[in-house]
Amino acid sequence: MIVAENLARTYDMGKVIVHALRGISLTIQKGEFVGIMGASGSGKSTLLHLLGLLDKPTGGQIMLGGIDVKTLSDRKRTRFRLKRLGYVFQDYALVPELTVEENVYLTSMIRGTSKEEYQAQTLAILNRIGLADRLAHKHNELSGGQQQRVAIARAMVNKPEILFADEPCANLDSESSRNVLDLFRQINREMAQTIVMVSHEDWHMEYFDRVIILRDGLIISDGKPPEEFYQKGCNYS
Amino acid sequence: MLTDLRVSFFLALRSIIRGSRGSLYLTILIIAMVFTNMIFMPSIILGFIKVAEDQIITYQTGNILISPHEDEPFIEDAFSLQEKINRIPGVLRASVHYGTGVTLRHKGYSIGSTVVAIKPDDERLVTDVYRKIKDGYYLADGENDEIIIGIQTSGHKDESLDMGPTLGYLQAGDPVTVEYTNGVSKVYHVKGIIETGSYYADQGSYITWDELESVYGKKMDIATDIIIKTYPDAFEPDVKTQIYRFGVRENVQTWQDILEEAMGRAVQNFAMLNSITIVVSLIIAVVVLFIVIMIKTLNSRRQIGVLKALGVEKNIIIHNYVFQVLILTTIGIIVGTVLVESSVAILTVYPFRFPDGDVTPVVATSDLINNTIMLYIASFIAGYIPAWRVASEDILTAMRS
Ligand SMILES: Nc1ncnc2c1ncn2[C@@H]1O[C@H](COP(=O)(O)OP(=O)(O)OP(=O)(O)O)[C@@H](O)[C@H]1O
Ligand SMILES: [Mg+2]
Repeated sequence: MIVAENLARTYDMGKVIVHALRGISLTIQKGEFVGIMGASGSGKSTLLHLLGLLDKPTGGQIMLGGIDVKTLSDRKRTRFRLKRLGYVFQDYALVPELTVEENVYLTSMIRGTSKEEYQAQTLAILNRIGLADRLAHKHNELSGGQQQRVAIARAMVNKPEILFADEPCANLDSESSRNVLDLFRQINREMAQTIVMVSHEDWHMEYFDRVIILRDGLIISDGKPPEEFYQKGCNYS
Repeated sequence: MLTDLRVSFFLALRSIIRGSRGSLYLTILIIAMVFTNMIFMPSIILGFIKVAEDQIITYQTGNILISPHEDEPFIEDAFSLQEKINRIPGVLRASVHYGTGVTLRHKGYSIGSTVVAIKPDDERLVTDVYRKIKDGYYLADGENDEIIIGIQTSGHKDESLDMGPTLGYLQAGDPVTVEYTNGVSKVYHVKGIIETGSYYADQGSYITWDELESVYGKKMDIATDIIIKTYPDAFEPDVKTQIYRFGVRENVQTWQDILEEAMGRAVQNFAMLNSITIVVSLIIAVVVLFIVIMIKTLNSRRQIGVLKALGVEKNIIIHNYVFQVLILTTIGIIVGTVLVESSVAILTVYPFRFPDGDVTPVVATSDLINNTIMLYIASFIAGYIPAWRVASEDILTAMRS
């Protein structure tokens, strides 16, 4: 469970101070599939980075699984991300010198999982995303959609408490996007995986249980995605 | 910790195996050349010193040289001292020398030189000059009126090979006039010409002890020096100590002492030259590896940011690059060692020719080890610093690059 209270993030740029987030409070329950939406520059990525322990707020508080993250040292934050969180990025960011399989189990190696165990886990997750026949391939032998699915497998192999994704479909055509979003939904439904995803495509809303819309660093709407959004599309900004 | 190092090594190996081949080979080549450079120069110098050592031992002084105390012109009771020395364990034989300044004349030529009186049976056991008779024969005990002369004194047929004044191509069988300082002048039969390759030995001329006594008209029991050959497994400084136990006042020097006296200055200069070569080589290695790793890490900034976001410790990332550098260095050193050993093999067959003999490079194992360690330390630093700089970057800054 994620609880954020009055989160603020400002960037001190010398002459100007940018208020990226101006006081965000939210609670995300286990098993929710949450979309964070809003116009460019509205603070979506900033919020995701704060919740995912990649950045520190300038105000407010974050509780992850009952822990006030402010109390964690940098080292503990790193361990926390390694053991309890998962990430998918816009550009897949697979390690180029590693095969599909190695990319997926890299973090398991660091977690100290035994070889048999992480190889079995890797095979299982790659089977699930339909890339088990690509174990030994390198990233440049895969399509963008396939690479993003490998990145999802990498994030999921450890069954993280929360999976964060920042515009995972931004580099994909609509068919690949659908594949990837289907996969996220499948993971969410079958494994009760908590997912927090940033998106700026209206039609993605149909996948989310809940949509949080930001404008200028504030939440302007939070709730079930209204049907008309993904049927007609709507200018929410 | 161990798991972390394993992961770093895993990443390093993958990166080297699956990374760019061209830059891999070039980097290894540079390290190999640097290593060769660090080893080769000292090995030539060592080879040079080795030649000097060999020649001193084989043709000049044996393993130990006894010369008169500085206040005295001669070693007194030379033969009883010789007997005592011969009985010291580790000593093969001592040979008594009496050297005296002479003038040699042949045809129109006349040069000042030194004649050394020896007991050929003793001398054969101490120096190898008897093996180096180019023309004619070596002396035998009890012979009179015979002399053997070094080729740098007798002169070559091809004058260009002469390094100083000579008697103009004197050959075995020719007569040569020897004028001693006591006024005796005598014509000798040249029994043999010596050619050892050592300039010092090739300048000398030798007569027998009996001949010396006939020139002076009395028993001679004094020496200008005594040279000593020890067994190969004997330790010269121990033998030297034993000799001093006899209470001799004479000056006893091992060949190491002599070499140090003769070449001390030169050896210091060589050492200086070596250090410069090594420092320059190390700087080249550090700069090359630094650039290689800096380019690698700068190209992977976003990658590194993502790995850190996924929970990979900064140290795992740094050690990955350090391992890469160490692997490259290891391969470079192996290739370099092969290069060094093959050049040594080639130069053993085709040595450098110097006036004092053929010089082949001598690779000291200690140099190999020291330079390997230095190169590893240098490359560790060269890998660590750029990796640390990029890996220490803030996650989001790195990811945004
Ligand atoms: N490192 C930074 N330094 C200064 N300002 C920043 C920095 N990062 C973000 N901002 C500012 O914070 C605000 C929110 O940025 P954020 O990246 O969260 O937007 P976003 O909603 O993700 O936009 P997009 O849809 O374009 O990705 C923007 O005004 C941005 O310029
Ligand atoms: Mg963004």
